[in-house]
Amino acid sequence: MNNIRISPLRIWDVLIWSFLLVFAMFIIVPLLFMITASIMPATEIMKLPYPWISKTFQWQNYWFGLRGADGSFLFLRNILNSLIVSSTVTFTTVILSALSGYGLAKFKFKGRNMVFIVMMATMMIPFEVIMIPLYMVAMKMRIQNTYLGLILPFLTTAFGVFMMRQFLITFPDEILDAARIDGGGEIFIFNRIVLPNCGPAIATLAILTFRSQWDNLLWPLMVVQSEEMKTIPQYITKYMAETHTDEGIMMAIAVIASIPMFILFSTMSKYFINSTLYSSIKG
Amino acid sequence: MVVISKGVSTVPERIIRKKNDFTDDGKRRKNWSMERKKARWGWIFVAPTLLFFMVFSFYPMFNAFYMGLTKKDLLSLNPPKFIGVKNYTYLFKSADFWNSMKDTALFTLGTFLLLLVFSLILAAFIISRKKLKTLLQMLYYSPALLSSVVAALIWLLIFDPRGLANQTLNFICQSPGIDHKWLAASNMLRLSTIIVYFWKYIGYFTIIFVAGIGSIPISIHEAAEIDGASRWQDFWCITFPLIKPTTLLVSVMAMIQCLKTFSTQYLFTTAGAPTKPINVITLNIYNTAIRDHRIGRASAMSMILFLIMIVLTWFQFKISKSDDVTYM
Repeated sequence: MNNIRISPLRIWDVLIWSFLLVFAMFIIVPLLFMITASIMPATEIMKLPYPWISKTFQWQNYWFGLRGADGSFLFLRNILNSLIVSSTVTFTTVILSALSGYGLAKFKFKGRNMVFIVMMATMMIPFEVIMIPLYMVAMKMRIQNTYLGLILPFLTTAFGVFMMRQFLITFPDEILDAARIDGGGEIFIFNRIVLPNCGPAIATLAILTFRSQWDNLLWPLMVVQSEEMKTIPQYITKYMAETHTDEGIMMAIAVIASIPMFILFSTMSKYFINSTLYSSIKG
Repeated sequence: MVVISKGVSTVPERIIRKKNDFTDDGKRRKNWSMERKKARWGWIFVAPTLLFFMVFSFYPMFNAFYMGLTKKDLLSLNPPKFIGVKNYTYLFKSADFWNSMKDTALFTLGTFLLLLVFSLILAAFIISRKKLKTLLQMLYYSPALLSSVVAALIWLLIFDPRGLANQTLNFICQSPGIDHKWLAASNMLRLSTIIVYFWKYIGYFTIIFVAGIGSIPISIHEAAEIDGASRWQDFWCITFPLIKPTTLLVSVMAMIQCLKTFSTQYLFTTAGAPTKPINVITLNIYNTAIRDHRIGRASAMSMILFLIMIVLTWFQFKISKSDDVTYM
């Protein structure tokens, strides 16, 4: 009797698992392709069928990728630019979002709801719509080809404010009041009590912000023309357009460009899944 | 209290204090000045962000609207010339613009539906498993860590005539040696961009759905099980109606993201794929403004994009409001 009841479930289990695995293949195969191709000579990559493990490990691909076609090591400089821009933007986004999220969650003041609504309204303004006026502003301020120009439009996001507010709204008032009675100033309280307790929210926001900046192509394309100030996505598109030749080196560049995100994610992922990403929905 | 005498000491506030020092039932109000002080700090905390949004979101928004009504060359120093709605009338007559609209619509519809359906299915399947839940989520999420440009670059090689895409498809269809023209034929090219985007973002939306489904109290599922509901019924009659807020969130986010797609199409066209089938509106705005220097026309286009986003979002909220279900 047991068998009769369980077998349809078993079939379902098998079907579900096979679906999940096939899908996992679809996700994994391009990643594996990137990694395996990055240490292959270009001639083998385009062989039919694709040899997943090459006989010759061509580690030079990474060296040539870093060096660039003209030996200028421009890629290194562009990696540095991406790191500087992404980390600055992440830092300002976290600080400003935490400040205003805290202000909106824990302080009563006249017009608070209005401020909140106004901030949330900016979520409806996509960057793609305001990029041209922003570009005109950047031209007027003469901040093309500078870090300031790359960073300024992204100092904080409405999403960040919303996330921090949702997270802090449940923060116990008693702790804050206790600190106030003990004579702690508001800045002190924010620095020493609120910020250290926002770990998961900050980690999530930091990952999301860093990722979106690391990925940003459109704004750098507009505001940066000089080779030294370009960011990684720009370097890759330029490399594509100029020297569409060695696929192995291309994949090596792709791997190098992805390493920082994977490091960041693996160090912070314990906060990420099942955590505050969801706080944005509950609100 | 010590706190009261600190901080504020101007005359008008002393007068106010006399009135406000007592609550309605005659008890002495304790920390009204603390409240005032807190209100001031609230503003201080909020002010920098508010200022930033005013300067870098609202001002450019109004400016974009104004520039949409003017004619301006990117490089000329002349002030923009006001020409009314001529940019819009030009766009509505331009075949290039309508082609962009069509490309954007096809891309958005295709990607959006795929993302919504598959992320829901995957999340439901993942939740139903006992093992490897987190691992599967991480795995599906991993492409989101790559930048769009890198994702497009990988797929560009996969879609190469000698690449993996042809090999796999030919293996499945048992049709050796056929080139499916992933990057040349219009519809295949559209499909290619959809696949790249779908591959990159599916994990992100799956995670959101997993969180949404996971937040439904287990007791409800248990009650259904006791009442004899099958797994299928449990999903359609309990899970699906209850995750409606999540579904709304995912569909709005996915749709807006798809409408804004740029990097994939940009890289594909830079690599030599034909522009016309994948000339999505953002790409068109960029080219019109930066390559053709027509700021006014590009602004008008971006306003149209904005309007489309607003209308579609409003529409989705409207649909989802019609029959709300809660378990409270």
